[in-house]
Amino acid sequence: MADKKSMSMSKKRRIGNIVTYVVLILVSVIWILPFVFLVLQSFRTENTGIVNYVFPHQWGFDNYIFLFSAETNFLQWYFNTFIIALFVCVLQTAMQFMMSYTLSRFRFKLRKPLMNVMLVLGMFPGFLTMIVLYQVLKAVGLTGDNAVPGLILVSVASSGMGYYVSKGFLDTLPKSLDEAARVDGATRMEIFFKVILPLCKPILIYTVLTSFMGPWGDYIFASVIALGSETGLNVAAGLYTWLGQSMISNNFTHFCAGGVIVAIPVMVLFMFLQKYYVEGVTGGAVKG
Amino acid sequence: MATVKLTNVKKIYPGSVNATVHDFNLDIADKEFIVFVGPSGCGKSTTLRMVAGLEDISGGTVEIDGEVVNDLQPKDRHISMVFQNYALYPHLTVYENIAFPLRLQKNPKMSQDEIYERVTNAAQILGITQYLTRKPKALSGGQRQRVAIGRAMVKDCKVFLMDEPLSNLDAKLRNQMRAEIILLRKRINTTFIYVTHDQTEAMTLGDRIVCMKDGYIMQVGTPTELFDWPANLFVAQFIGAPMMNTIKTELTKEGNKYYVSPFGYKLEVTGDKGKLLNDRKVEPKEIYLGVRPEHVTLVKEGAKNGFPVTILVNEMMGSEYHLHVQTEDGTKLVVRIPTINLSEEERAKMVAGEVIHVAFEGKAMHFFDIETEYNLLTDNQYHAEDDPETPIKSNEAESELPAETSPVEEPKAEEKAEEAKPEEASKEEAPAEEKKEEKEEAKKE
Repeated sequence: MADKKSMSMSKKRRIGNIVTYVVLILVSVIWILPFVFLVLQSFRTENTGIVNYVFPHQWGFDNYIFLFSAETNFLQWYFNTFIIALFVCVLQTAMQFMMSYTLSRFRFKLRKPLMNVMLVLGMFPGFLTMIVLYQVLKAVGLTGDNAVPGLILVSVASSGMGYYVSKGFLDTLPKSLDEAARVDGATRMEIFFKVILPLCKPILIYTVLTSFMGPWGDYIFASVIALGSETGLNVAAGLYTWLGQSMISNNFTHFCAGGVIVAIPVMVLFMFLQKYYVEGVTGGAVKG
Repeated sequence: MATVKLTNVKKIYPGSVNATVHDFNLDIADKEFIVFVGPSGCGKSTTLRMVAGLEDISGGTVEIDGEVVNDLQPKDRHISMVFQNYALYPHLTVYENIAFPLRLQKNPKMSQDEIYERVTNAAQILGITQYLTRKPKALSGGQRQRVAIGRAMVKDCKVFLMDEPLSNLDAKLRNQMRAEIILLRKRINTTFIYVTHDQTEAMTLGDRIVCMKDGYIMQVGTPTELFDWPANLFVAQFIGAPMMNTIKTELTKEGNKYYVSPFGYKLEVTGDKGKLLNDRKVEPKEIYLGVRPEHVTLVKEGAKNGFPVTILVNEMMGSEYHLHVQTEDGTKLVVRIPTINLSEEERAKMVAGEVIHVAFEGKAMHFFDIETEYNLLTDNQYHAEDDPETPIKSNEAESELPAETSPVEEPKAEEKAEEAKPEEASKEEAPAEEKKEEKEEAKKE
């Protein structure tokens, strides 16, 4: 009797597992298929347009070679994107961290209203400000061909808004560490750089990654701010121009190769910082 | 090495109406070891933090070595501090943790050789040389606390502050570290201010003890003074473990002799205490009679001042029994009986339900005013007499259950709980003012 019961239990569990795995596999396939397709198409050399098969008939690096040739602005777009991402990454991380530290450690008038205002403002999608920002940047000459500094400015100016995650992490660090350092003779600056910052390595990495990836994959702002310019575009906006009706038959495989190239720096960054990234998301509870 | 002087020091937290520390006045001599003791929320940690410069001072002045330091940053006060939760830098090795304050020194900057010498010397004294390359997370609680002490002692400081440094340790380690702090004090030979809620630490470590309640100083004195001549009922019950028995009774006078009549027995106040009552011309009245458990002795039936009690609970402590007994009129007392002189027959009687005879002498008695709860035989009152909010009254007296010493309320039981859950216990013991701050913080958030 008991054997029968345990048998049916294990059978049920096995069926449950099978169903779960089938669903997971299906979801994984659906998720990964576009990437596989993109990579495969980037090596297709028989023609450059859209085809109705996945595996190329002829393989080669022609599409990649084309990207680095003088025929396209791809390198310019790539360089633009890299510069924007790099500056935003550094400046945004620094500003966001200073903001988080201030809000976590200092008590000052209007601190709470400031946090509330930023929370409310953060709820509005960023692109709502696009038209106004375009006008402002245009007035100072930071659109079109000069879109790169304009895009850096747009991203960096709103850096402080993303303070929540790192403030949450900083809040978990015991304040007695700051106090101990103060008694030991450290200035506020020394406390920040010698005590707090090294402890925030995981969340710092997280902030670096998110700050880098934001402008790296940005399409909306880049296409608006660089409107009318071929050379001021970033890589996402630039590649998208190849998908226009008149361009797609000549550039689809180039677009795919460009997509692969775009993914490389992010992949490298992720692989390099993955360990810290995971720790950064989950390691907030670790205390001194 | 320096004196510390606190004059009318007051602390009111922002947004709070009531002061956490009221007009705190204290002179601490050079090289003195002073202990602030009191229950959670009494303001002892806040006072220490005001001396350290980690809390703003709402009123009054703090002087270190004759210099008013109210507006000086902690780093400029020449202090060292050991925190309750160690506050070690987790990303640094033990060596770097201890060297941290030395590396921050400017004018003149300390050489690497000198830093090395100081760190290794401190590590040797504290027995942590083998852990110098480890990170704090790889150390036990006791080792971490040693590192914290090491970090504080490498620096040349005028005042050494310790905020409940042993609270996070288990009972055994706490005893060991207590002895080490006594040795450390001899070695460092500077002015110490030590905060604790543990009266045993206060008694064993302090040259003088400052007993506090609700932000007021209840008494300042040597451990012996506080134990033998508590200024009021609160100090009497806070100092000593198990807690002093208090019995509401009548103090009467016949000729030159004073009598008390607890549990329906008339006991003469003999010895110096009787003489003192006479000298001070104390009027007969209703009082709280205080008797420490260790001053109640086992006697034969019919002995002078002896009275029968029924054992409710017997706690075997090894060297002594802690007996929770009940008198014939229902008053509950705690009695400490050393086991060494007990015969087998007497030991056999120390079980619940048995009736034994106990007595206490006149010199063991303490007399407290029923209204004010001041000791009738001491002069020093440390509260603001004109302040109607002075919380001189002990909670026990307020509850009108002075002698109802329930076994679960015994400090020993608390110690056991702490032993079992040191971390939780330490959380509970976190200063109430900090909790208050946290609450306010949470409210704001």
